[in-house]
Amino acid sequence: MSFNLEIISPQQIVLNQDVDLVIFPGVEGDFGILKNHMPFLTYLRLGLLYIYKDKKLIQSFIINGGIVEISDNKCSLLTEDITDSKDFKIKDKEDRIERLKSKLVSKFYYA
Amino acid sequence: MPSLKDLRNRISSVKSTKKITSAMKMVAAAKLKRAQDNAEKTRPYAKKMGEIVDSLVKNTKNQNFKFGEKKENKKNILLIICSADRGLCGGFNSSIIKFSKKLSKENAENGYNLNYIFVGKKAYFSLKKNCKDSIIDYFSDIANPSIKFELASLIRDKILELFLKNSIDECHLIYTKFNSAISQTVQSMQLLPLKNIQEDNIEKKSQSYDFEPDEEVILNEIIPRNIAIQIHTALLENLASEQGSRMTAMDNATRNANDMIDNLTLFYNRSRQALITKELIEIISGAEAV
Repeated sequence: MSFNLEIISPQQIVLNQDVDLVIFPGVEGDFGILKNHMPFLTYLRLGLLYIYKDKKLIQSFIINGGIVEISDNKCSLLTEDITDSKDFKIKDKEDRIERLKSKLVSKFYYA
Repeated sequence: MPSLKDLRNRISSVKSTKKITSAMKMVAAAKLKRAQDNAEKTRPYAKKMGEIVDSLVKNTKNQNFKFGEKKENKKNILLIICSADRGLCGGFNSSIIKFSKKLSKENAENGYNLNYIFVGKKAYFSLKKNCKDSIIDYFSDIANPSIKFELASLIRDKILELFLKNSIDECHLIYTKFNSAISQTVQSMQLLPLKNIQEDNIEKKSQSYDFEPDEEVILNEIIPRNIAIQIHTALLENLASEQGSRMTAMDNATRNANDMIDNLTLFYNRSRQALITKELIEIISGAEAV
């Protein structure tokens, strides 16, 4: 009872495999997708994404927004900001905040 | 006529120039490969996003969503000009600058106000005198070490803010489309407002989606993302074009340096021979005179 899940980010195709169940952090609450879902389009909030296969959790991601499209037993997730929860480190995010802050300063400097 | 020493110096200086240009060519070729790879990696995302937006906009019933054409006369136009941070890449920067100047002139003649956002140093430094007060923003060093998606989002946020505040009525992105390593074309792409979609292939796969929360909210969520990815792909194409252009320019320069070295060496040998012959004649005629 599996369907194809494709996770695409601007940098790469993060995942493309057959799965049984995906739980998305939808904008109006979490929702799970199984096989033979009707055509569906929604977007996501910041949260956790769980992927199950053979009744086991095989992977989870931390995701900051994205768009989910489901049609013909194919589920596509487009997201700009996704991290495997195994690789998630608070420090990376703090670094990124610092980087963005310093960019703001240098922008004003140039203008 | 230059002395032999002058010629020798000249040859060695051309040789060292040749070394630099051929090294730059090699570096550009490596960077081009990487830039092309990056551009290709973005393609699936852009393609999927395009498909979703297409099928959405085709099936939508409400025609007056907020990123569409405005009813009032357009007055303010925003140009986003993407160029390189460095020179020595043939006609790459100058063709962007020329194109931008032409476009600005046409629009100014039609009575529109122009605003600018610059990405990349070269166009900024050569155009900033012409458009002092109308520069909204300027970004540089974007490809160091690689183009981040954050930058595209940043530009997107900026233009959407201006568009929704009615500060601008139209937004164009000027960049160089990468055809191949030796051919690139400067072109402009309209980001905002969204063009009215052609109704020719409307029957093609018109799925009726279930929306959550509803169609309009999703449209307003998805269109900014689509704009960001358009900007991002344009920046990546621009980088690939820059490297391709630099590669060909440096290839030409290396070839020209080779020709120059050949000519100079020939000239050098000739004058050396002439000098020897002259000295011999002097000695022989001196000996005959004795």
